[in-house]
Amino acid sequence: MTAHAIAVDVLLGITAIACWLGVLGMVRMRDPFQALHYLSYPAILGMGALTVAMFIQTGWSPAAWKSGIILLVLLASNSVGTHAAARAFRQREKGHWQPDPNDPEVEFLGGRPPS
Amino acid sequence: MNPWVLTASVTGACLIPCAWTCLHGSAEKRLVGLEMTGIVVTIALVLLTIGYGRLPFVDIPLTLAILSFGAGVVFARFLEKHL
Repeated sequence: MTAHAIAVDVLLGITAIACWLGVLGMVRMRDPFQALHYLSYPAILGMGALTVAMFIQTGWSPAAWKSGIILLVLLASNSVGTHAAARAFRQREKGHWQPDPNDPEVEFLGGRPPS
Repeated sequence: MNPWVLTASVTGACLIPCAWTCLHGSAEKRLVGLEMTGIVVTIALVLLTIGYGRLPFVDIPLTLAILSFGAGVVFARFLEKHL
């Protein structure tokens, strides 16, 4: 077994573990805000390891570059999509998404702003 | 079975808890399950393209990654305003 094959196997294992960690964490969390955090495990760690494995396996092939593009898409869309979802959840829960000085759950850095 | 197909099978098994999350619980949790499903399917499709030696088919997970982002944002906006 060559060093390349071992590296690919390790990276594929990281991909599978990242996916399972993310999915089990998402299922385990009761609060959807907490569950949102677990999207990043497969999107960043899993896809990142998979992209490196593809570059090792296929070299500088178009498929490997497209895999890199998928990683970039997931990096961007995961942060934007998570923010959009969290904003929608807060809007549903409180009727607004902006910080409210009268909300007892909100803590402001440097003290509360004048209301 | 090469390691790519084996990893695709292990990763594809993640879709069972994802489906369970999409079918149970609050609307917010279901949306999280939908977004996780898009990511997991994208990774599984990339693994399958290499595993079966169909490298040009990597366009399919690329398209899915872009479309699942749009779907997640649209569902979030719908959840925010109409549900």
